[in-house]
Parts: sequence; structure tokens; C-alpha cells
Amino acid sequence: MSLTTFGAIMGFAAESSGKAEEIYKVLAQKARDATLKEVLQGLSQEEGKNHALMIKARRENVTEMILEPVTDLHQEDYEIDPKTADAADDAGLLKAAVTLEERGKRFFKDASSKVSLPEVGRIFRKMAQKKEANLSKLQGLGLSQTAGGRG
Amino acid sequence: MAILEEPMKGIKKVKNYINGEWVDSSTKEYGDVWCPATGEKIGEVPFSTTADIDKAVQAAKEAYWEWRCTPPLTRARYLFKLKNLFEDAFEDIARTLVTEEGKTLDESRGEVRRMIENVEHATGVTTMMTGYNLEDIAQGIDCTAERQPIGVFGVIAPFNFPAMVPWWFLPYAVVCGNTYIVKPSEQVPMTQTRIFEAIDECGFPEGVINMVHGARDAVNGLLYHPDIKGISFVGQSATARYVYKACGETGKRAQSLGGAKNFVFVMPDAELDRSMPSLITSFYGCAGERCLSGSVLVPVGDVYKELKEKFVAAARALKVGNGLQEGIQMGPVVSKKHKEKVLGYIEKGIKEGAKLILDGRNIKVDGYPNGFFVGPTIFDEVDPNMSIAKEEIFGPVVSIVRAGNLEEGLTLLENSEYGNATCLYTTNGKTAREFKYRAVTSMMGINLGIAAPMSFFPFGGAKGSFFGDIKGHGREVFQFFTDTKVVIQRWT
Repeated sequence: MSLTTFGAIMGFAAESSGKAEEIYKVLAQKARDATLKEVLQGLSQEEGKNHALMIKARRENVTEMILEPVTDLHQEDYEIDPKTADAADDAGLLKAAVTLEERGKRFFKDASSKVSLPEVGRIFRKMAQKKEANLSKLQGLGLSQTAGGRG
Repeated sequence: MAILEEPMKGIKKVKNYINGEWVDSSTKEYGDVWCPATGEKIGEVPFSTTADIDKAVQAAKEAYWEWRCTPPLTRARYLFKLKNLFEDAFEDIARTLVTEEGKTLDESRGEVRRMIENVEHATGVTTMMTGYNLEDIAQGIDCTAERQPIGVFGVIAPFNFPAMVPWWFLPYAVVCGNTYIVKPSEQVPMTQTRIFEAIDECGFPEGVINMVHGARDAVNGLLYHPDIKGISFVGQSATARYVYKACGETGKRAQSLGGAKNFVFVMPDAELDRSMPSLITSFYGCAGERCLSGSVLVPVGDVYKELKEKFVAAARALKVGNGLQEGIQMGPVVSKKHKEKVLGYIEKGIKEGAKLILDGRNIKVDGYPNGFFVGPTIFDEVDPNMSIAKEEIFGPVVSIVRAGNLEEGLTLLENSEYGNATCLYTTNGKTAREFKYRAVTSMMGINLGIAAPMSFFPFGGAKGSFFGDIKGHGREVFQFFTDTKVVIQRWT
């Protein structure tokens, strides 16, 4: 489905953050490695804040420019696969987190150029940067994505 | 994406809000309220009587003196609280608006935001309401000019912006120390009713803000009531003229905003691809039911062919449907009657010889067979003397009228009965300056399609689009709601 309006983009962004928050909660519960658990819990909290930020941005940044039609942005390119939460071992959990953050980074980067409001574009770019930082953090955990967790 | 839940279930009978209480009207006559997307009846609105108006005026009059003596900063504090209540109710108000008016969720959210911005701007009363003074206008004699509230004011609001328009006036009137009566459009009474639930929660002193629903009797009740000091009106030009005349007869202050026929000019040097989203928004935003909508598209010079092709393609691609669905870009028009009026103009355009190149008459919207939808419509080869080029259609119907150069374009504007807004697309600063300098409208967009002043700038047109002198919101509106008392003193 095409994201053709400001509201549709913001709604999808909020909905995705909400979904990611829940998935991170599940992943954190499964993690055996204490550091990984802590990181996943942190990401869950962060997505909760992102959700609130998207709702606030939608409410407070509406001007005439939001009504301008948006083209070439499709929801299916950025959907979160619910199976992401199915990962079992720590390596799988880490891989799931990387997938989520990469998805988020891609969405916010692409969407930032589609919204005509500079303030919302700035928020999206900042979100993409945050996702980039999260990816570095995840990759720096030192867990082998093929090995089991360190317990 | 799923349809969001409709905020209202069942048939709702709305009440008046007088002296801090929800009360039934004394009338036995009620009108129907419709959901334009589904075509279903969703409510009933009382056609209140002059007795109901009188009751509201008496309450407002009773509340006036104590409110007038309340310090401006204290009055502003009510608005700070109200702003927060509006933020809490934001989504609910927006969805109520979509349900009864038909516009899209984005458009509704934008409207509610504009409403709140007026509350925010009005809180600057302690700066905006100040007067001025000069010592020694003659030796030992000092003079002050002080702004004082006046009494009871009222607004008669249109259907197309049921949340925002009353708030172009109300917060300024009230924060200046006046008391107030809102008469919402009888076609869309529920949005303002939801807003008044927040007002009720805010705890204003009884009688400071009142609402009376109704139609002709309520309007005349306000216009001819001797205890009402001023009226703000927004609607069709014929009614705006009537309101202004009645206020003149009864000695009331008046700001009466009428209709529009807005011309949008595109120069050969305009960046067409970049401009297209805002051009489309200009003509089809709110299904064309706004006094700032583009109505006549004027390609200037040789931009005609390319502009027409791109504009038609973009209009054809618009997603029309129930505004409660995220992603819908254009909703229905407000009522069956209004749809018939718009369709009537399309028939008239065909009869007068214009070329219909995009026909929105038979649009089908899945799941909404009874909705009041009119698809994007475009006429080409429109003569400036045709009805569709001169009269306010208030729907998603675009007339393309060609101009050989800017001079011809400006003549089109000068010949129009209206003077609300106009827009120009160009990359040439000299052209923009010439246009800004000479075009006879009071609101203007350069490289944007909707020239909507925000709350801190005045809103209102020229010629047949506006009757009065002080416009809606902006700095000037504080003058409308206050009298300047000049005090000359000698103590020496």
C-alpha cells in the first residue's frame, strides 16, 4: 500500500515503532546474555519513546503543506515481519534486532525526503542517525550471529 | 490501512450550551446531520429560536462585568488550560470533524491545529491589548488611549471549517474581556459540540462562552439583538453582505467574510514538477470547499500544454474516499444538496461550451455507494465570462483559462467580483514582485497554492469577499474586540 499522505506516513511510523517496542520486549525476555538483554530492553524503551514522538509530531506539525500528496513511498517495503520475534538463541535475537534497526533506518531515511515539512524531515533524519548508532552498538556486542549466547 | 473507528455511534441530538450548562432548545424543529462519506444520518440539530438566543445573550450579558474586571493575565490562564484540554482531545475532535464534514484526517488535524494556534496567539493579550500614552499633549495635560472590552460578541460560522473558524474570533474576544456566543453551521454542529465539552471542562465562569445551534432564526436573533455589540461572520458573499448590512442597521461592529473565486497563475518559468503537489492541494484540498481553494487555473504563455498534461495526470491519481481512512487524499463534499449544486455547475460548464477533460461526476468509491462524492473535475478551454469561471462552485472543479501574459492574468483578477486569494508560480523575482504589487486580492501565495494566514496574521479578502475593515485573527483583531478610550487629564 502506498503511503500517500503525511498522516499515512506518520501513522505508519507510529505503528511500526509500537510493533518494534513489543517485539523488543519479547526478544529481551528470551535473551540469555545479560548485556544483550539490557540492550534489547533499552531498544524497547526507545521504540516506546519513538512511538510517542511520532504521535506528537503528527499532531503538532500539521500545516497546509502536509496536505500535499506524497508519491513513491510504499508501506510493504518497510513492514516489520512478525516472525522477527520468533528468534530463539542469542545470535538469532541479535540478528532480529539488526534487522529491525536496519528497517527503521531505511524507512526514516527514505521518508525524510518525502515529507515537505522541514521540522518533520529533521526528526526523521535524526531517527535514522539513531538507528545507525544502534546498529553500531549491536554489531559491537561481539556476539557471533551463528553461535549461541554466552549465558 | 484500516478505517479508524468513528468517534460517534448512533444518532446524536445536540444541545445548546448556555450559562455553563447543556440545555435543550425551546424549538420543536430539528434538522438532520449527515455523514458525507456514508450518506447516513448521524445526528439532529435544533433550529433554535430567538428566545434561545435571548437566553444566551442574557447569560453573556450577566457574566460580562465580572469577566471584564478579571485581569487579562488571569483570563489568559483559562486559555492556557483550554489549549491543553484541546491537545488531549485533538484526535477525537479531528475524527468528529471528518465524520460530519467529510474532509480527510490530515485536513482535519490541520484544522484543529490552526484552531489551537489561535488560542495560543490570544494568550499574548497582555502585550496585544495595551494602549499608548503621551505626556504634555498641552502643558500639564496628559493623554492615554486605553483598550477596553465592549460586551457581548458572537460568531456565525460556516460548514467548511467547523472547528477552526469560530476560533479565529472567540479566543481574542474572550481574552480581551468580552463574553461570547457561537452559532455553528447547522450542517456540522457536532465538532463544535465536542469542542465545547472541553470548554465545559475548562471551568470558565458561567455565561462567558455560550453556544446556540440553529439556522435562519438563530442568525437573525443574533444580528438584531440589541445587546450584542459585534458579529463575526464567515460564509457566502450574499449572506456576508446581508450580515454586514444588518449590523450597520443595528449599530454593531462587523467583520463579514464572504466567498471566493481564486485564480492560480503558472508562469512559463515555474518549476512544474516541484509545484504540482501544492497545485493539486490548492484545487482539491478539502474537496475544493474552502475560500482559499484554487478554482481557476491560469497557464500563462506557453506553459499551457505541459501544465495541463501534468495537472490532469496528478488530479486523476488522487485517492478519493472516506476521510477517516489514512492515505485518502480527497473526501466527499458536505451534503447531498451541495453535491447536486456542484454537479449543476459541471452541467452548466458543458452547456456553456467548456471542454470537460476530467469528469468526476460518476465516481464510484468502494464501500460507500451513498456517499456525497464528486471526483476531481477539470474543464479546459474555459472563457472568463462563463459561469464556471466567475461563480463560486465550492467543489473539486477546476476551470483552465489561458492568459497570454501576466498583464492578461491581472486583468482576469481585476474583473472578478471576488478578491479573496490568488497564487502565482514562478522562478522570476521581478514577476513575483509585479504580481504582489498589483494583484487585487488580500491574500496571496507565491509558489504555494493555499495562501492561508496563520493566527498571527490577518485573514480576510477584498472586494466581494469581505465586508468590514478589521479581518479575522492577526494583530488587528484585538482592535475589533476593544474600544479605544482616550483619557485626557490635568492635575496641575
